[in-house]
Amino acid sequence: MEQALLHDLESRCTQEEAPACRSMCPLHVDGRDFARFMGEGRFDEARAVLERFMPLAGLCAFLCQGECMPHCRRAETDTGVNLPMLERACALHSRPGKAMPLPASGKSATLAGSGLSSLCLAFELGKKGCKVKIVHTGEAGQALAARASDLLPRGALSGAMERLLALRVSFERVDDFSPDLCATLLRENKILYLGLDDPALDFRLSAFGLEHPGDPLTLETAIPGIFAGGAGISFIKAAAAGRRAAGSITRFMQGVSPSSARAGEEVYPTKLFTDLSRVLPVPPVEAADPKTPTLAEAAAEAARCIQCSCLACVEKCAWMARYGAYPKRYAREIYNTLAMKVGHRRANAQINSCTLCGLCAAVCPNGADMGRFCAEARKEMVSSRHMPASAHEFALEDMVYSNSPEVAFYRHQPGHERCRYALFPGCRLPASLPEQTGKLYAFLARNLEGGVGFFFRCCSMPAKWSGRPLLTASCAAGLRETWEEAGRPELILACPACALFFSAELAEIPIKSLWETLAALPLPDTARALDGVLALHDPCTARDRPDLAEAARSLALRLGQKTEDLPLSRGFTRCCGYGGLSLFANPEVGAEISRSRLGDTDKDLLCWCVMCRESLRSAGMRALHFLDLLFPGEKDPAVRPAPGISTRQENALAFRRAMLQNFWNEEDEVAGMEPAIFSMDGEVAEKLEARRILRSDVEKVLLHSKEKGAQFRNPQSGRILSCLRPKQVTFWVEYSENADGSFTVHNAYCHRMRVPGTPGEGLPTAVILEGFDPQGGRV
Amino acid sequence: MKSESGDVRAEGWICAKCGVALELLPADATYMGSSFQVDLPRCPVCGLTFIPPDLAEGKMLEVEKLLEDK
Ligand code: SF4
Ligand code: SF4
Ligand code: SF4
Ligand SMILES: [Zn+2]
Repeated sequence: MEQALLHDLESRCTQEEAPACRSMCPLHVDGRDFARFMGEGRFDEARAVLERFMPLAGLCAFLCQGECMPHCRRAETDTGVNLPMLERACALHSRPGKAMPLPASGKSATLAGSGLSSLCLAFELGKKGCKVKIVHTGEAGQALAARASDLLPRGALSGAMERLLALRVSFERVDDFSPDLCATLLRENKILYLGLDDPALDFRLSAFGLEHPGDPLTLETAIPGIFAGGAGISFIKAAAAGRRAAGSITRFMQGVSPSSARAGEEVYPTKLFTDLSRVLPVPPVEAADPKTPTLAEAAAEAARCIQCSCLACVEKCAWMARYGAYPKRYAREIYNTLAMKVGHRRANAQINSCTLCGLCAAVCPNGADMGRFCAEARKEMVSSRHMPASAHEFALEDMVYSNSPEVAFYRHQPGHERCRYALFPGCRLPASLPEQTGKLYAFLARNLEGGVGFFFRCCSMPAKWSGRPLLTASCAAGLRETWEEAGRPELILACPACALFFSAELAEIPIKSLWETLAALPLPDTARALDGVLALHDPCTARDRPDLAEAARSLALRLGQKTEDLPLSRGFTRCCGYGGLSLFANPEVGAEISRSRLGDTDKDLLCWCVMCRESLRSAGMRALHFLDLLFPGEKDPAVRPAPGISTRQENALAFRRAMLQNFWNEEDEVAGMEPAIFSMDGEVAEKLEARRILRSDVEKVLLHSKEKGAQFRNPQSGRILSCLRPKQVTFWVEYSENADGSFTVHNAYCHRMRVPGTPGEGLPTAVILEGFDPQGGRV
Repeated sequence: MKSESGDVRAEGWICAKCGVALELLPADATYMGSSFQVDLPRCPVCGLTFIPPDLAEGKMLEVEKLLEDK
């Protein structure tokens, strides 16, 4: 996979960006983690957060005046989280951490002045093993103590001094920063910091040969090795300046430019997106004594933190939620899996479980599209021969069946030499609603000028969803050929997935959706509305087709059918679970995605994509299709079960037969549709469905067993167990032969692994040959 | 598959062709280019291998998934 694709997705997903409190804090204290620990009463861990982000945390924690607060996202609802109060409480009531100095590095630095910036710089350099000397007037830290007398509790400053001493920082008291002393310091020190937040250094710049204080970011002055800053800024900014000076001095000591790689050190607005729509106002917690807030007060205030985070897509998609992370992480994991030569390809199943529905891109503030990423990843898996055959073989064979000459056909409207239109219902609508599809065809043929042909086959979207561009192209070419032979009619598409496929792969074929077409026609006489309100479910394949969503709604309106939009609809609709063959590759995740709709409404669903209708029905929802309103059949169409895998194929064949007979007076010359040679109870039928074993697969085993002899016999029960490997799957059928020669099937199961003695060639089926590795038998 | 192969039993089943009881014998199982030996109920005469449903849907499926992700 192209790295650019990874970088694009990574840059769009902002979930790993800092929360506003952190990005806007001069010290970049992670207020989110800190508030969480405080809120949960995990005060030692909260203290550890402070120690990690604040130099001399036991001192700085009292000096913060809440520069993040106006930027806190809660401030958009009421007032920002009072992190200064939390910090104060934490510093008062928890134990300080231990600074572990590195072994002496042999480097040294001299600091003039003992303001906060100098103390923090000394702390940072001291931790790194640098020998630091602070030259100061009066008591060290005296000026700070005076300026911050109302903030600092007793002991905070002396505690900081103790920590500095533990880091081997030395102090040298002088009477005054006289011009002589300044000149000496300048001469004798290769590295010197002027802490201008100490008033003892006021007006001393020129004595050090400088006109200006240091650069606000790096604190570098005009003289290499001399750094200066800290004046005229808040305490926390001075602390941050001290820490940045440490970064500059360390770089300088290593011969690296102090200005290199400093991105993100200053405050910056975060890109992290956070949905505030559900944030309710909560009044801020005031400490009884603001100087000594209690832990209980702090914990209550901490609970006001909304723990800023995006996860907008994760909240909406079951696939996202299932794997426990977010797109930025997923993209990296997938990218790494694809790049693997050997080892466990962890993300394979994940890649094949996404429905490619694009909801993530629709809800992401930056349009990060995990579906597109997974689609690319599948192509890569196929081309590198890492796509397991088991993922898509069944769906692709089903597609090939729909496109086979036994099922697919085109006919002009009876009595027409050529047709201006052709109805292309897709493969699933006729298999699910055969009668209604026939009525729909008759209706269109009657009402449209210029003739309406009938074109029955699958659009071949499954090939595309499975990541096989060659198969996709060859299927599309087959479709194009029939269309050309038919005289290039404009196709009327009933299925939005077909529409998506045509516009991407067969752009030269003029298409029109059934829903637009119906808008220009009178309603069929049979059309009826149902009592009550139906919830409109839009298909994800029409996410970018507001015109179609509109057409469906106006059709409902004309029908007099009351409908309402679901909370996630139109461009933001949920996938029914069928998209991207997710239900085939990973039935568990696919079903989970299908079930996501359950919580959205208690109304019956009205669908305009038949795949949606079947998937949502199978997930346990009451659902119907527009054709159930236009050409009503059963009394309660919302409970009609979705046809199973075998029934669908049999229905398709029967549909073809009926259409040819009813409209074209043709006897179908295609064989098949023999009466079933076996029976089974409902439980066995369910097992077949779940294991994706077709009734025709069972028949193959039975016929082979009868002809070539059975494999195993059970003398007690009189049952037979036979197996056959007609493709890369071994089917097993346990059955008994009845007196009349028919069979009763008691169980059927399958596996892909090959063991000795199984009859059958076991060759891969043609559809999965793209990406097939003859050596490894890998597809 | 190996560790639990002892559990694989073919209660009551005999080879239909040879008419003999099955015995636990080593068999080569292959998938995705990997091949390994495992003890399975087999006909001691013709070598036919017996796979019960719980094996196909349990351990065997697990191993298939592992090999697919390799
Ligand atoms: S919506 Fe999802 S992909 Fe977009 S920024 Fe948020 S977490 Fe990342
Ligand atoms: S709500 Fe919490 S995480 Fe968000 S900015 Fe405020 S303190 Fe930080
Ligand atoms: S299932 Fe849909 S929303 Fe979820 S990751 Fe895939 S494309 Fe995005
Ligand atoms: Zn035998």
